[in-house]
Amino acid sequence: MLLLIHAALMPVLFFTVATAVERNLTNAFLDDARHYARVIADGLETMYFETRREPVMERLDSAILGGRSVYAVVVYRDTVVASSLMDSNEIDRFQEDFEFGEHGDDIYYLSLPVGFESRTGILRLGFDEIPTTEHFEIVRSTIVYSLVAYMLLVLLASGYLSSTVVRPLKWLQHASRAVSSGEVDKELRTKSSLIEIQDLTADLEKMRSNLVGINAQLQREIADRELAESERRNLERYLRHAQRLDSLGTLAGGVAHEFNNVLQPLLLYTDLALEDLPDGSPAVQKLNRVLELANRATGLSQQILTFGRQEKDAEFELLNLTPVVEEALTMIRALLPATIDLRADIRQDIGNVRCDSAQIKQLLVNLCNNSFRALSSTQGHILVSLKEVIVPRKMANEHPNLRAGEYVVLQVVDTGVGMDKKSVERAFEPFFTTQAIGQGTGLGLSVVHGIVVSHDGEIILESEPGKGTQVRIYLPLADEDIQEHNGKRDPDD
Amino acid sequence: MIKILVIDDEEDIRVVLRQVLERAGYDVSVAPDGKKGLEVLAEQGADLVITDVIMPGIDGVATVQKIREKFLNTRIIVISGGGNVAPLEYEPGAIATNAYLASAENAGADRTMTKPFNRQELLDAIKELMTE
Repeated sequence: MLLLIHAALMPVLFFTVATAVERNLTNAFLDDARHYARVIADGLETMYFETRREPVMERLDSAILGGRSVYAVVVYRDTVVASSLMDSNEIDRFQEDFEFGEHGDDIYYLSLPVGFESRTGILRLGFDEIPTTEHFEIVRSTIVYSLVAYMLLVLLASGYLSSTVVRPLKWLQHASRAVSSGEVDKELRTKSSLIEIQDLTADLEKMRSNLVGINAQLQREIADRELAESERRNLERYLRHAQRLDSLGTLAGGVAHEFNNVLQPLLLYTDLALEDLPDGSPAVQKLNRVLELANRATGLSQQILTFGRQEKDAEFELLNLTPVVEEALTMIRALLPATIDLRADIRQDIGNVRCDSAQIKQLLVNLCNNSFRALSSTQGHILVSLKEVIVPRKMANEHPNLRAGEYVVLQVVDTGVGMDKKSVERAFEPFFTTQAIGQGTGLGLSVVHGIVVSHDGEIILESEPGKGTQVRIYLPLADEDIQEHNGKRDPDD
Repeated sequence: MIKILVIDDEEDIRVVLRQVLERAGYDVSVAPDGKKGLEVLAEQGADLVITDVIMPGIDGVATVQKIREKFLNTRIIVISGGGNVAPLEYEPGAIATNAYLASAENAGADRTMTKPFNRQELLDAIKELMTE
C-alpha cells in the first residue's frame, strides 16, 4: 500500500520539482540575457552610428566574445551592422523570441532599442539556450536518480518493516486467533529482532502457556472427579452387594443353627429307633432312608454355614497351593466326563498362603462343577490357572477386600453359556441357581464365597451370556512369605 | 458308673441324649439351662458335662467358667448348633457360634462339637475324654 502511494506520487513529484527548477533556470537565463543586452545597449548609446561604424562593430564583437551571445546585430533604418564574428548568412536568422525555447532553434533572440544621438536603432542579440537546456537535463536526471534512490530506500525500509514488524505482528494475530478458537498447543515464538515484538510475543506465550496449564488442570480435575465418582459408585455397589451377602449369610447362619438343633434329635432318635426294632422289621429300611436324608440335610446345613462363616480359622496352615490345586484337579478330572476339555496352567513358583487345603479343594471342585454345567450343552473348555500377581492400588480401591500387594490368584475360566448381569449380581447368594429346578442346590458359589471370605481373600466373577465365565480367587500371600520373598529378591535388585 | 450331666434348652435334645447315653451305660442327669445345671452339678456331681453354648440366662461359656471354678476334674464337652444366633433380621453384630465355641474352649472346655453329630461320634468323644 505504502509502496503504491509512493509509486503514484513519483511522477507528480518529478514534474513539480523539474518544472520549478526549470522555471528558475529560465528566469535566471532571461534576466541574465536582458541584463547583458542592457549593458551592451548602454555601450552603444553614445556612439555615432552614421559616421563611425567600426566602434559599433567592435562592441558587437565584444558582445559575442564576452561569451554570452552567439548573435549580435544592430539595425539602423535600412542598414544592418553585424558582428564580424558571425557568418553573413546567419544574419537573417533573427526571429524575436518571447519565451525561452521558442522556435526550437536553441537560440533566444531579443531586440532592444538603442539611441544613437537623436536617432533610434535596434540591437538584436541571440543567446545560446543549449547550456541551460543541458542544465535542465542534468537537473532532471538528478531528480530521477534521487527519486529512484528514494524508492529503493522506501522499498528496503518497507521490506525491513515487513520482516521485523508487520509479518511478526500478522503472525502473532493469526496465532492468538488460533489460541482463542481453542488451538492452544502450539508454542508462540518470533524471529523478529524488535524487542517490543519479542516482549509482546513472550507475554502472549506466557498467557497461552498459562491457559494450557489451566486447561490441563481443569481437565485433570474433571477426570479426577469422574474417576472418584465412578470409584464411589463401584464401592457403593460393592458394599451393597457385600451387605446383601452378609445379611444373607447371617440369615442362613441363623436358619442353619435352628435347623441343626432340629436335625440333632432327628438323627439320634432315628438311630435309637433303628436299634429298638427287631431284625427284619419292614421299618428298618424306611428309618435308614430317614437317616440318609437327615445326613443329606446335615451336608446342606454345613454348606450354608460355610457361606455364612466370616471369621478366619486359626487352624489355617501356611501352604504352597500348587500341590493342593494339582491334587484337586486330578480328582476333578476323575469326576468329570472324559469329553470335557479341562486345561491347567499351574505355576510352581508361587508363594505360600495361609489356608485350609480341604476348603481350597472344595472351592475348586465347586467352580469346576459350575463350569462343567455351563459347558454341558456346548463345545468348549475349562481352564484352571494358578499364579502370583501384584494387585495395583487402583484395583484395591475398587475392591475393599483387596489390598495393594502380592496375591496368589486361582482362576477358573470356561467357554460355557455364561450368565447375564442379574445372575452375576446374585451368583453368590445361597440357593440362587441358574440350573433347572432339581439340578444343583444353588449353594456351590455361596460356599466358594464363604471360603474366600474366611481366607481374607476376594472373589471376582465376570461373565457374559454366550461367551463364558471367569472366576478369579485372590488369596493374600502370607506375610512371612512376602518378607522371605523380598529377602530373596533384594540381592538381585 | 460314669456320671454325665446334659445341659440344653431344647427338650428334645435333652431327652434323646439321655436315652443315647443311658443305653451306652452312663448315669445321666439333665438340666434345661446353665443355672439349673450348676445346681444339679453341685448336688450330684458329674464326671462329664455336655452343655449347649447358646442358652437363655447363663450361656454355655459362663457355665463352663463357673464349672471350672469348682470342678477342675470334670470333663466338659460344649455343643453348638453352628451358624449364628440372630436368624430373623440382619444384624451386623450377629455372633457366630464358632466364636462362642472358641470362648468356651478358652474358659476350659475340653472339647467342642457342632450339631448335628451322630451317636457314634458322641460316644467316641466321651470314651476318649474319660480314658485320658
